[in-house]
Amino acid sequence: MSLSEYARDHAVHLAVALAFLLYPPVNGALLASPLADETTAFLPGITFMIVVLYLGLFAMSFDFISGYTGYLSFGHAAFYGTGAYFVALAANGQIPGVPGGTPFMITLLLGAVLAGGVALVIGSVSFRLTGVYFAMITLGFAQVIYELIRSWGYVSSNPTEGTTIGGDGLAIGVPYVDALSLKVGRLTGDSIQNLLGLGIDVSATVVSYYALGAVVLVSYFAMQRILHSPFGRVMVAIRENEERARAVGYSTYWFKMAAFAISGFFGAIAGGIFAAYSRSVSPDNSYFFLVTADALITTIIGGFGTLAGPLYGTAFHQWLEDVLSTESGGLATYLREGLPEAVLGADLFGVSLELFVNTAVDGRAPLYLGIVFVLFVLFVPNGILGTVRDRLDGAVGKRLPERLRRYRR
Amino acid sequence: MSLLELDDVHTYYGESHILQGLDLSVEDGEIVALVGRNGVGKTTTLRTALGLTPPRRGTVRFKGEDVTGTEPHTIADSGMGWVPEDRRVFAHLTVAENLRVAAHAAVDPDARLDEAYDLFPALERFADKEAGDLSGGQQQMLAIARGMLGDNDLLLVDEPSEGLAPQIVSDVVEALRAASADTTMVLVEQNFRLAMDLADRFYLVDHGVVVEEGDTAGVTSDDERIRRYLTA
Repeated sequence: MSLSEYARDHAVHLAVALAFLLYPPVNGALLASPLADETTAFLPGITFMIVVLYLGLFAMSFDFISGYTGYLSFGHAAFYGTGAYFVALAANGQIPGVPGGTPFMITLLLGAVLAGGVALVIGSVSFRLTGVYFAMITLGFAQVIYELIRSWGYVSSNPTEGTTIGGDGLAIGVPYVDALSLKVGRLTGDSIQNLLGLGIDVSATVVSYYALGAVVLVSYFAMQRILHSPFGRVMVAIRENEERARAVGYSTYWFKMAAFAISGFFGAIAGGIFAAYSRSVSPDNSYFFLVTADALITTIIGGFGTLAGPLYGTAFHQWLEDVLSTESGGLATYLREGLPEAVLGADLFGVSLELFVNTAVDGRAPLYLGIVFVLFVLFVPNGILGTVRDRLDGAVGKRLPERLRRYRR
Repeated sequence: MSLLELDDVHTYYGESHILQGLDLSVEDGEIVALVGRNGVGKTTTLRTALGLTPPRRGTVRFKGEDVTGTEPHTIADSGMGWVPEDRRVFAHLTVAENLRVAAHAAVDPDARLDEAYDLFPALERFADKEAGDLSGGQQQMLAIARGMLGDNDLLLVDEPSEGLAPQIVSDVVEALRAASADTTMVLVEQNFRLAMDLADRFYLVDHGVVVEEGDTAGVTSDDERIRRYLTA
């Protein structure tokens, strides 16, 4: 296939990748324009976009098994945590056989392979069950690991709080080739002055954003490729009617095991890049069951069984989080600073508007996310991407070009 | 040697005793119909043969080999196909993908797909449509085509005429007749006339055992020994 044909087949993929690629400069340009206040208030900052990347990848790995085989992996945090802890412990030289200073790309892969193995162990027991029982037993496994890791003194002197990565920033790129690797992390990452002699400076945060983005992109295409292979078709067949798939002659048990291992692998990749960027891991932000719940919520908002949907669901979630918190701008700050004193002090059913903003907007993202989630389940059960696909009668990448051609005539 | 032999099989769903010592044998090349009222164990007989609900007692022999308790996918791979009731196509796979998934064991899947399209031209027209969007009759065609694709020596067909308009039913009958040229068939069918029309022999099942059997030639539902078991 020629390159141009390939580009045409992946026009929508390219457009999305381009949008992510151009986001930092566009955001930066807006911040330098008269719309700066609105930009900080209503557009997610780069730090939030980085969260979108690793949590989005995690949600996609969750969707890979849950959305395509129909087996809800409620213990998916086990893989995210395994990836995160492996990377963190390896960076601190605490993994036997993995010397300190082993390139991050290698420890990332090792952690992911380990998580795939963990998935096989959990799966070998769990896949004897179906439906809600499968969901519950995987959740049980993850909670057991969570409790263990919380009290495992080897991790650090205070295992409940997890551990931090000491030393240099971890680099994404080609292992052992410094020129082709970029260190990530908010404080430890590389920043680039005068990119390619164009006089553009790229901050450490933006470098991390691009480096993590590259990993997510590669992982997405790998999963997408698997789902469109004959193996992926069998996964869907299992979701649609497992008995029938067995009657056609597939040992569905092993197909589910393999799918679970792949899903665990990419879940750990997400955990690994999260650890590399945040430079600290704790049981509560990796192995905890609410980490899985986040993926579940964003997957349902983005579209179950769509693979890319969870990324958009995560983007939506993080955007809401950013707008409704004061960490970087946000709606509350915008209103407090933008509105005149008289309006802020105005009486609103016995409370001033300012007090109302402080209580009903500031830091209330989980409340509104909950409301949005309920509305989605009720009115948009197929999620963002699922609904768009229904409207277009097929995958966006295939149908959108046809649609557009129709309008061009 | 019979192609399929069920010998005194007892099959349960939990505590309910469905097949209570059923015997049945199918010879190479014939079409055998299982008839009887609702809930007497016809579908269960097919599921037992394929290993989806293995019997607690009794033996299932396929091509002379004891396959009692063998995993369904192993039995399926050894040449037994299933066209389940309600069609049960993989709704979110396209027609072509449904066929391809079923043809995985074939040496040349593409050639097998072409054969299926020759037999059912409608399927080729809708090859890229999701199977769930097809009409009931088309889904039934797809289910039959899928059953034939696996290079099966025996095809278990469950209620092919269920829920279909009379005109479509005759298309399905034609399809089954065409399919039977290549493969032995066990047919579960509510429509007694249709069953007698298609099959060479029949088994009449009641309360989990075979109560009558014989050639279909000349048998009508007015026959006293049959009417007794078919009227409610």
